[in-house]
Amino acid sequence: MRGFAITVLMGLRMYVRDRGAVFWGIAFPLILMTLIGLAFGRSGTPTYSVAVMDRDAGLLGQGLVAGLRSVPVFSIAEISDTDTALAQLRQGRLTLVVVFPPAGSGEPVRAYFDQSRSTDGQTALVILERFVAEANLRLAGAVPTVRVQATGVAGRVQLRFLDFLLPGILAMTVMQTGLSGVTYVVTTYRQRLILKRILATPAHPAAFLGGLVGRYTLTSLFQMAVLIAVAVLVFHAKIVGSLATLAALVVVGTLAFVGMGFAISTVSSTPESANLLGSAISFPMMFLAGVFWPREFMPPAFQPVINLLPLTPLVDVMRAVSARGESLVPYLWGLAYLAVWGAVSFLVAARRFRWE
Amino acid sequence: MAIVTVRDLYKRYGSLVAVDHVGFEVAAGEIFGILGPNGAGKTTTLEILEGLRRPDGGEAIIDGVDVFRSPREVRARIGVQLQQSGFFERLTVEETLVFFGAFHRSTLPVADVLSRLQLDDKRQSRVSTLSGGQLQRLSIAVALIHDPRIVVLDEPTTGLDPQARHALWEVVEAFRREGRTVILTTHYMEEAQHLCDRVAIMDHGRIVALDAPRALIRAHAPKTTVAVTMGDGVIAFASLPGVQTVEQANGEVMLSTSDPLQTVQALLELRSRGQAGFHQLRVEEASLEDVFLQLTGRRLRE
Repeated sequence: MRGFAITVLMGLRMYVRDRGAVFWGIAFPLILMTLIGLAFGRSGTPTYSVAVMDRDAGLLGQGLVAGLRSVPVFSIAEISDTDTALAQLRQGRLTLVVVFPPAGSGEPVRAYFDQSRSTDGQTALVILERFVAEANLRLAGAVPTVRVQATGVAGRVQLRFLDFLLPGILAMTVMQTGLSGVTYVVTTYRQRLILKRILATPAHPAAFLGGLVGRYTLTSLFQMAVLIAVAVLVFHAKIVGSLATLAALVVVGTLAFVGMGFAISTVSSTPESANLLGSAISFPMMFLAGVFWPREFMPPAFQPVINLLPLTPLVDVMRAVSARGESLVPYLWGLAYLAVWGAVSFLVAARRFRWE
Repeated sequence: MAIVTVRDLYKRYGSLVAVDHVGFEVAAGEIFGILGPNGAGKTTTLEILEGLRRPDGGEAIIDGVDVFRSPREVRARIGVQLQQSGFFERLTVEETLVFFGAFHRSTLPVADVLSRLQLDDKRQSRVSTLSGGQLQRLSIAVALIHDPRIVVLDEPTTGLDPQARHALWEVVEAFRREGRTVILTTHYMEEAQHLCDRVAIMDHGRIVALDAPRALIRAHAPKTTVAVTMGDGVIAFASLPGVQTVEQANGEVMLSTSDPLQTVQALLELRSRGQAGFHQLRVEEASLEDVFLQLTGRRLRE
């Protein structure tokens, strides 16, 4: 028991002193989260940059500009020259350029958009047309008889991309701890004859191996806490489900993937080859299992393989809890499948484990 | 009274017989050396005694405990220093001792062990910063942490500079004063000769000779060398009493003699009669190296 406790304690000290472990466990997932969040993360309501030129400069024109400013999704800049604005439109820095004609000239309101980015342009155009239609009604003194009130629905909560990404990153970090961290550390201890030295003590070797499992469980929880804290405080990510459930899932995932790490470490003789093998397994798995995007995005031919990966059920259940606040019940089979992976891995490791 | 009894140990790896029917006894308080070249089977023998390897035959009883039935019980009674054993690079010297102490039932105070191995000032140093000699002392500190009566050291001084080697010799001599039993392997004959009460000479998995160093020399390499640095005059060395061979090297004449007393006396008489001038006279006893050469036809380090 003392051997177990000291292995956990000294393991944590070594973790804190190991810049590599802290980088892969904390900095790397944070960098991924930031970069992928920046690349794909759109906040729930987009804003469109609109440049407005008011050729009327009278009451009507000023009223229209003021009206446009009150449209929440428009960010309005007034301009006096369309050439510069059109150039900015072509560069993608504006979504729409709007020109209000002088009052009474009979000219239409002109709107320019970039055809190469037609989705944003069309959306902004529709909003503009609706705005103009409403302005006409108001100018005619009509009271609208039919109104629409729109309410956004996205399941139980509005899902931002980061809320979707965070649980995936957490699951990925758990996997990396087992497949890269454990394999590297165990093979290093074996190569340096540290394992043999421990075997030369009267203690049961399970005390040390159990201590390693305990150490990785605690570092996984610590990494989860840091990642969640940064995601929530800095990126305003939302976690709907319970943190305790997430922590329990991190523990289950860590146990399973640490088992796989032990199993891989029995195949490799050097830390370098163990690390390579761990990465060769974990990197494709991380892209296939839906860490960064829904796994349905992958081609149908891949789906049967994806369903067999041990990371898939972990990503699914962590996302269900974190992003949607779902109950664990529909995911118990997936968790059982992950547990089988872990149990088989520990059995393989126990049979094949070499101390030197 | 033997504290370690080894009978008929046998271990093979495929077609290679690593330990070939090895047997010996070690008395309590004795420093017992196993001397031999690399690959002689020294380490395999020790690792069988430590319960780290299963032999294919034979038995070993340490402190009354059968190694193969109760390896963990044996490991509680012996302190083990493994050849080139590594430690956690990111722990300090003190943390390393605390760590290994937790794998034993009872331990000496860490500070005591550190000061006995002159590691006090390295207490807070990371293992990764230690020199070869310091690492080897840490390795012995770990072997000592549970105050074992028997200490098993596998090539404790290999790769160390002479100063670090002598520091370790002092540690082993302290073990002798404390009444601990020490079993050590080495391929340095000076070390075996200097430290050990008895030495087993091992070659190709077999013990080819086992006795006190001096007794081994007397039995297997009885000749003594008398070296003379010549001045004026001519001496008929070959006809001096006891002399068996005459060689010249480095301005010295080396006489191999079976009766050094007679040979030296004859030389001194020649000198006092003015028949021969020589500046220096040196008498050199044979070493375990010569014993090994005599027994195996090879030098110890080749």
